[in-house]
Amino acid sequence: MTLQEQIRRNRLRSTIVVFGFVLLLGVVAGLIGVALDLRLGIVALLGAALYAIFAMISSRRMVASMTRAQQLGPDELRPLRRLVENVSIAAGLPATPDVRLVDDAAPNAFAAGIRPRTSYIGVTTGLLRAMPKRELEAVLAHEISHIRNRDTYLMTMATVFAGVIALIADIGFRMLLFGGGRSRRGGGALVAILAVVGLVLAPYAALLLRMSLSRRREFLADAGSAELLNDPEAMGLALRRLQLDTTTIAYADTSVAHLWVESPTSRVESERRGVLALSSWFDTHPPLEQRIAALEESGGFRLPERLPADAPFSVELGLA
Amino acid sequence: MLWLWILVGLVVLVVLLGVLGYNRLVRLRNEADTGWSNIDVQLQRRADLIPNLVEAVRGYAAHERGVFEEVTNARAALQRAGTPGQAADANDVLTTAIGRLFAVAEAYPELKASENFLRLQDDLTDTEDKISAARRYYNSTVMHYNTAIQSLPWVVVAKALGFRAKEFFSASGDTAPPEVTFTPAT
Repeated sequence: MTLQEQIRRNRLRSTIVVFGFVLLLGVVAGLIGVALDLRLGIVALLGAALYAIFAMISSRRMVASMTRAQQLGPDELRPLRRLVENVSIAAGLPATPDVRLVDDAAPNAFAAGIRPRTSYIGVTTGLLRAMPKRELEAVLAHEISHIRNRDTYLMTMATVFAGVIALIADIGFRMLLFGGGRSRRGGGALVAILAVVGLVLAPYAALLLRMSLSRRREFLADAGSAELLNDPEAMGLALRRLQLDTTTIAYADTSVAHLWVESPTSRVESERRGVLALSSWFDTHPPLEQRIAALEESGGFRLPERLPADAPFSVELGLA
Repeated sequence: MLWLWILVGLVVLVVLLGVLGYNRLVRLRNEADTGWSNIDVQLQRRADLIPNLVEAVRGYAAHERGVFEEVTNARAALQRAGTPGQAADANDVLTTAIGRLFAVAEAYPELKASENFLRLQDDLTDTEDKISAARRYYNSTVMHYNTAIQSLPWVVVAKALGFRAKEFFSASGDTAPPEVTFTPAT
């Protein structure tokens, strides 16, 4: 399967997932309408739409504050910006995304923003200190692929949707348990049971959808990076280096976990694994081993036992 | 009566598919055109840097007239180039000529240490990286566009509608870019 076919298939899948979200939203609102009151269902739907619009508008700032990404001055870290420029030219983006710096020892990077023109890429200082130029470029290309494939847009929407569904389902559930019963017009116990089941399951379905969306996109962005640089091995090496690194990001906010190149919360999640058997379904990222294997298979190479000991890019940048 | 409706339905379907397909071809052609203008911007930027570079070197090595002429001619040829293929060829010639100019500069430590020269060298390297990035994008858009107009059913009508195959930005000696295939592990 060529990369283009893969991109087309993933775009189709994400369209389906978004429609799934809208449908799920409708079902939750409908259940509230049937079980409680029709007017309440409509109000919930309208409120959800308003909240979603508000969240989309303020998402850029929200992400920046949740990841603690700092804006750079016009002359700071020019070599890094040049790398980003080159990769975004290769991706054919209409504008070069801004670069923001996260002061954190863990090597990681993310992309955010709703449209390519307003998007930005965040890199941690740890990433600059760990990665040589070739691998850093691969990571940047991974993030640029997220922007090019409109992943950042889709994931922002998915995050907002998941939040909305959980919110109204929660409100509906509470009203059904305490006092909502009085306004029910017949229909009986069966409707109530169905409503409870639906309302309880809806948030989990939403969460699952959000995660599966994000995980598929990681494979796609890895492949995109390989295509943009014509160098699948560079992305493989970068992932291996991330795998060997054991620093965890200091402020790992789970609500933006899906944005990073490597799951910032993976160590926390693996501790939870014993409790929740299905936990790998809830991960935001596929295991690094699987991502490396996919790259090796498509690129027709094997990663060397030892990583190349090239100087990290921070030397060229002159970072202390 | 039923047959009439089926016929109408089929005609509507064909027209709809035709419109969608045509729009797709237009989009692909526009993407390729944008890709070309990205390359053009970088080639122009490179050409603009060259007179300064020649002047900087001439200040130290005025007698190396042959090299200056070669670079100036290669630059003029690049600006005259009409098609992507010609531009790629001319760009390669220019790269060789610039390489020779830098080889001349090697003999003059003062020149090599001058801030002006270092900045020019840095800018040129940057432009070359950007040309190769823009070229990767342009060539992939051309590949998609050409594939679309050379496959059925569009191959029949593409010429009549004014869709002509585009040339890759690659010098005559280059080989075609390798196709990247991808299979996810899940």
